[in-house]
Amino acid sequence: MTALLDIKNYRLDIGTFDGPVHVLKGINLSVNRGDTLGIVGESGSGKTVLVRSVLGIGPRNSKVVEGSISFGGQDITNLPEKDWTKIRGIRISMIFQDPMTYLNPLFTIGRQISDVIAAHEKAAGAGVSSRAARRARTEELLDQVGLPNPSMLFSQYPHQLSGGMRQRILIAMALAGKPDILIADEPTTALDVTVQAQVLDLINSLVEKLNLTVIMISHDIGAIATVAKRCAVMYKGEIVEQGMTQDILNRPQHEYTQRLLAAVPDIDVEPERVAAQAADAKPAKRSNLLEAIDLKKVYRSQSGTDFTAVNSISLAVKTGEIFGVVGESGSGKSTLARMLMRLIEPTSGDIIFDGQNISGLSGEPLRQMRRHMQFVFQNPHSALNGRHTIGDAIGEPLRIQTNMSRRDIEARAEALLDIVQLPKMFKYRYPHELSGGQKQRVCIARAIALNPRLLILDEPTSALDISVQAQVLDFLQELRSELNLTYVFISHNLAVIRQICDHTIVMKRGEIVEQGDTEQIFLSPREEYTKALIESGRKTSQAANLQV
Amino acid sequence: MLTFAFRKLLTLVGTMIGIAALTFLITNVAPGDPARLVAGPNATEDMVATIRTEYGLDKSLPEQFIVYMGELVRGDLGTSIVTTRPVLEEVMRYAPATLELVFVAMFLGIVIGVPLGMLSAVYKDGPLDQVTRIFSISGVAIPAFWFGILLQLMFSVDLEWLPVSGRLPLVTRPPEFVTGLLLVDSLIAGNFSTFWVSLQHIILPAIVLSFPCLASILRVNRAEMIEVLQSDYIVAARAHGISSFRIVALYALKNAMLPTLAMIGLRFGWMLGSTVLVETVFDWPGIGLYAVSSALSSDFKPVVGVTLMIGFFFIVANTLVDLAYAWIDPRLRKA
Repeated sequence: MTALLDIKNYRLDIGTFDGPVHVLKGINLSVNRGDTLGIVGESGSGKTVLVRSVLGIGPRNSKVVEGSISFGGQDITNLPEKDWTKIRGIRISMIFQDPMTYLNPLFTIGRQISDVIAAHEKAAGAGVSSRAARRARTEELLDQVGLPNPSMLFSQYPHQLSGGMRQRILIAMALAGKPDILIADEPTTALDVTVQAQVLDLINSLVEKLNLTVIMISHDIGAIATVAKRCAVMYKGEIVEQGMTQDILNRPQHEYTQRLLAAVPDIDVEPERVAAQAADAKPAKRSNLLEAIDLKKVYRSQSGTDFTAVNSISLAVKTGEIFGVVGESGSGKSTLARMLMRLIEPTSGDIIFDGQNISGLSGEPLRQMRRHMQFVFQNPHSALNGRHTIGDAIGEPLRIQTNMSRRDIEARAEALLDIVQLPKMFKYRYPHELSGGQKQRVCIARAIALNPRLLILDEPTSALDISVQAQVLDFLQELRSELNLTYVFISHNLAVIRQICDHTIVMKRGEIVEQGDTEQIFLSPREEYTKALIESGRKTSQAANLQV
Repeated sequence: MLTFAFRKLLTLVGTMIGIAALTFLITNVAPGDPARLVAGPNATEDMVATIRTEYGLDKSLPEQFIVYMGELVRGDLGTSIVTTRPVLEEVMRYAPATLELVFVAMFLGIVIGVPLGMLSAVYKDGPLDQVTRIFSISGVAIPAFWFGILLQLMFSVDLEWLPVSGRLPLVTRPPEFVTGLLLVDSLIAGNFSTFWVSLQHIILPAIVLSFPCLASILRVNRAEMIEVLQSDYIVAARAHGISSFRIVALYALKNAMLPTLAMIGLRFGWMLGSTVLVETVFDWPGIGLYAVSSALSSDFKPVVGVTLMIGFFFIVANTLVDLAYAWIDPRLRKA
């Protein structure tokens, strides 16, 4: 049997200002009908470029140096654009990573899906069917991906729907052409834990029902393990290992794969910190660095209804500890974090930083206070200005808050790059030239530029690859002892929280459900919600899936 | 959507009051005694005093303001000293000519600027992009009066293709008044020769007026299109097999139109102001020319009237832009 998709010794270069970059270095991969293939690799490994090449939407300025891709016996390596219309979206289709940005915000769901259907009918040369027929097909597709009330959804806009629903809609669009191959590009990365599990279940059920051939790429090896029977590991533009997923998980051959598997945080492993603390018999009595008293944030919509994002939260962060905040999206974690720094004005309540009530501050005193507390944002890709060099970005707080000379700022920026373990020469680079992990290090360097005492980290690793996440977490812990920092660490990832936080609060709908010593919460949760959260965390935990 | 429109309408009224207050203040801050100005250089103190009482200028500023606002609400913009006719009546008589000019200029700006911007974005850095770049930079840089005279010299004096100035030749009878826009009225009357003649008259001033506007619409649309064409949902649309034409002309353009619309609204106000220059060069009988000739004869009521009128049209245009925003972008409808 000839393979449905056959990639032979495929090499691809991308032309850049400094000459060609070898993005894919001799890829050999074949997919048979009915296969479920997973491609694992960190960002920058070339997996997205590879699958986009299969669809003829590779990056601009790219050039096939050698090798070929054939699909159903036809060579599609350098297919002219007009021939792609018969394949793209119809015989090979794709689901994208971020359902928030891959749907056009100005068109209704129905319009977008029916347009895809119309495009396919046109490409098939059969003539476009009536509006009503397309609507019926659209609703059928929406139903197929498990969305309730398709006829209402038809006339809704993307912003009215949740992330999980949007991902289902993208899947429905991809299924519109009854494709031979479905490519899923990180389909769960941007979703909440509980939603992730649902989407993976949906893909699995569709594979079974429609006998789909699936290529799923992800940096999340746990997600791959739940869908793909076969698996390929990509590293720096090469496939370093491929075979049955089970074999690779149980007996990883390549050094990178071993490292990748070791980096997966496990919710059920007792962190090293606990043992260290036990050894240290008398824990030092620490003072409170940051306190929040009865903090509340109410948003009033124009129609007059109130939405309480954070409801009467009181907490105390001790000097030198890592204070964890965990909860699902919408639980008010980020609002709370931003209020602590007064990036968002609290509706009521007090914030006390180092004995000073900062809730009444404004102007210069507030600015001075901000030197001591800095924020690291979730998505390093959008937290850096694309038109500023890294040096400018790191130097910015120094320019704003100090009278340092240009030369001193430059020297300090270099020193900071050194602290976050990046080469000094990076100061001349622009954000798009850096990987996600590197960018997050730059963001951290920027945050510590003024020697703050408190860092508020809002999901600092959730936009990063697992191996990078492990590095960044290790690095954050090192940095804390080196610079005597205190962290407020926000995450939806329970395994990460358990690994690094001393004290944790569990949030739900703007309120604290439970708080206490992290180990205590994980080993003997008191509240039902905490128990359920840990249970679902365990179920979707990457580590758990590895032992299928 | 309805409450949104209603709220916009309220803002419109508020802004209008603001403009009225501003024009009132400016006329009162301006140097010179209006009463003495009205009375003329040879008037006695008694005559000045009489006029001052007659015009209510002896009252305190807040009182005057209340009287002024009261008159505005009743549609009384005062009387022109030169023609001794109500300013409102005169402004209404001249406004259609200006609006016609601005509409045609705006039409040119949009139908040429938007597609050119779109094409420049699709063929970024190609020959067309380079040409439009030069075109749009000169569009913003060239002063309107100079460009107008240049066009007159070329097309009217040298080539004799188009009339030099005016709105209609003296011998042509204007069509029956319906909208006041000659192009529209002549079509309604079925009089195609008049339509043709008025089109010939409007084309040069409209080009002069639209050139800078076209240039900025083009640039904004190009920049937005480039941004939008790189967005994820465009990649997704390609991957789903939607045709390139549809992606560019529908999916991307609709998104790129939002900032372009804002530019159009701003440019509309700018155009109304620019008519003062362009109408003078082309002897176009609109409110710009009316304002200039009134100002030259120290007749200030008409100047204030024209200012209010321009302000009014500008606010209406921008309210329409706001509504168009909400019509295009569903995310704005809730707010």
